[in-house]
Amino acid sequence: MRLAVFSDIHANLEALETVLNDAGAQSVHRWFCLGDIVGYGANPNQCIERIRALPKLNCLLGNHDAAAIWRYSPYAMTKDATQAILWTIDRLSKRNNAYLQQRPSTLAMGNMLFSHANPYNPEAYRYVINNKYAQRSFRATREQLLFVSHSHRPMIITRKNMFQTVFFPPTGSLTCDLSRKKRQIINCGSVGQPRDRDPRACYCILDTRQNTIEFRRLEYDYVRTGQKIKEAGLSDYLARRLAKGQ
Amino acid sequence: MIHYLTDLNLRNKFLIWAGLLVCSFGLLASSLYYVHLRSILIQDALDTSEVILLEVESIREYVKEVLRPTISKLESRDTFVIEAMSSTFVSLNIMRRFNKKMPGYTFRRVSLNPLNPKNKADEFEDEMFSWFEDDRSRTLWRGIVPRKGRLSFVTMIPEYMEKSCLHCHGDVRQAPAELIKRYGTKGGFRFKEGDLAGINSISIPVASAFARIKRDAVVVFVAIQAGAALLLFLLHILFNRLVIQRLTHVSSSLLEENGEVRTDRDELDLLRQSVKTLSRYVTAARKGAGLQPNFIDSYIIGPPITAGTLSWLYEGHREQNNEKVSIKIGFNEILSNPLYATCLRAELKILRSVQHECIPEIIEQKGDTLIMEPMAGTDLGDWMQSTRNRGAARKAILAQLCDLTATLHVGGIVHHDLRPEIFLILEKEREYILKITDMGLASWRGIPDVILSSGLGPQGDFRYMAPELILGTRDDPRSDIYTLGVLLYRMFTGAMPFERRNATIKTWLTLKREARPSFTRGQGLSPQLERIISKAMAGRRGKRYQWVEDLWEDLEKEI
Repeated sequence: MRLAVFSDIHANLEALETVLNDAGAQSVHRWFCLGDIVGYGANPNQCIERIRALPKLNCLLGNHDAAAIWRYSPYAMTKDATQAILWTIDRLSKRNNAYLQQRPSTLAMGNMLFSHANPYNPEAYRYVINNKYAQRSFRATREQLLFVSHSHRPMIITRKNMFQTVFFPPTGSLTCDLSRKKRQIINCGSVGQPRDRDPRACYCILDTRQNTIEFRRLEYDYVRTGQKIKEAGLSDYLARRLAKGQ
Repeated sequence: MIHYLTDLNLRNKFLIWAGLLVCSFGLLASSLYYVHLRSILIQDALDTSEVILLEVESIREYVKEVLRPTISKLESRDTFVIEAMSSTFVSLNIMRRFNKKMPGYTFRRVSLNPLNPKNKADEFEDEMFSWFEDDRSRTLWRGIVPRKGRLSFVTMIPEYMEKSCLHCHGDVRQAPAELIKRYGTKGGFRFKEGDLAGINSISIPVASAFARIKRDAVVVFVAIQAGAALLLFLLHILFNRLVIQRLTHVSSSLLEENGEVRTDRDELDLLRQSVKTLSRYVTAARKGAGLQPNFIDSYIIGPPITAGTLSWLYEGHREQNNEKVSIKIGFNEILSNPLYATCLRAELKILRSVQHECIPEIIEQKGDTLIMEPMAGTDLGDWMQSTRNRGAARKAILAQLCDLTATLHVGGIVHHDLRPEIFLILEKEREYILKITDMGLASWRGIPDVILSSGLGPQGDFRYMAPELILGTRDDPRSDIYTLGVLLYRMFTGAMPFERRNATIKTWLTLKREARPSFTRGQGLSPQLERIISKAMAGRRGKRYQWVEDLWEDLEKEI
């Protein structure tokens, strides 16, 4: 079964369309969005509607999504993020608001567990970016494979033992074999705002038969996205960072 | 009171009765403990008194048999050394010294007519004299009585006047002068042989011992209550987890019938009634279309199309414009069964939660009745048997079936009952369209699993059920993959892989876990297809296809 996992779209319609078209061409069977469809970008409604139209989709609620429906305080974010969320709240349609309201914060599928930020406390939205939080995630769960996002940096974290984990940041498009014995955490990266100094949209495809995870980086028209952000009256920085992948 | 007790829910009943049992047990145990200790105490007192009395008797005998004769020989006949020749004096004085060393033990030798007024019987001892005199065969009395303000264990033995004693206690004129000089002539004389001269008694105070054992019994009672309360608390948690929480899903629905909250029955009573009504329903449902009603609201009911797990599907049409529909109905008799009603409501929720071309479009819901798009067709079981339905048609149906199953699984729904009989094949413009008519046994992550909570056990057709489903494990999508494997076997061979009549659950489990489906030559199956079906029907979940998509991917290449 081929599962496309993507996250952190942040209302970036150009990046999303590129990713979805590419994944469609890769014959994926199922889709999994780990959340943060809105926030930062200028096309929140369009991105939600585009994602909703996907067949066999599961979608989680990210922290920006939660803020857009007032389940999380927008004022707990950075200044630019707060501005973008308040802008989004004013424009989010009732239908899309209702859709976000029904999104869970975590979901299991077979021997996999999906969360936006971390599986041990999904609604606290802490990053899994070091050994401590990685081990905490493993200890709190039983599934073989854990999918997270939130940090906007693709990563494969392998649990060596109870005390050690190995971090591997895939660069560019790359297919990696998954371990059959050791538990792993996969961070699928960000579609709409990558922060690993690679501006290309990032998502991954899990192939359960081959037991591989394929990270795919795709060029998209970030200039157009940046222009839309400025036209919407949002911070210039949000447009500039897209080009740098920060 | 009894009415109040019967009105309580299962958990409270359990707690109250268990609490009563625990208290009763505690009372019984501490009472038995008290009685046991008391009997030990009394036996100890008895043994000790017996020893002391025997000792006193020995002293008296020694005085009578040795000391007195010896002194009489050495001195004149009139000489009476009371300190050596009076058995009473000697024994009393020895016991007085004994009593100083052992203050718990009090020896008395008393008489109604004593020589020494100090040895006069008190009121109680006076009564005992009467008691012994009433029956000369009475040689011993023991009991617990208050003595000098303390509860004491008292042992008494009577002493009768012997001939040798009459010298001092018989005719006063013949008594030794020493005695008369010391005690006078008022008492202690004029006895005859065989008279009840005195009573020897030993008193052992037992009040403090009794108080101690009472205290110990109370401690035992409290300890038992505390231990039992802890055990009851742990049992309560276990009972709550294993029974109450699972019943709660059902009971919250079972306690509401037609909007009213029913509190006059506990959860098990309602379940018992539900099962009874359900069995009546199954008998009635087997009778078939005789149960067909005429209309529901503005819809006219037509002939039945097919039967689901808990409902029939009828043809129908709207009264105003003859618009064709299909109507899914639960019978009144079944709807009045709270458990069935809950299952049906769950099914309706699940049907509404997912959208797929194979799921009939719901036009409206009238209470517990669903009005859906018209579905006039053949059920998949019959369709499979038709020889013309091979090749491309079969592939199209299987593609829809696998896609539908995958969509259900993505939506968190596990069907648990993907038999051919619940699917209808509709023919539209030379295309075959699959429609699912029943999801009565499905589970969905969005709602509590009523069938699991009700503890009814495995539900459905055992021939199609995966081993883990027979064991009661629901909510694993791989169970549906197993059922698809059985369906494929039937589709391609025309037979069922495992067929048993009146088999027990254990037999089915053994069969499904250990036996492999057999394929005979001439059925036209390629080895690859046989492998696919066998893998889909693997007894162990880990060996099965993990995802419907993988099953379809392999199947698509082969058919």
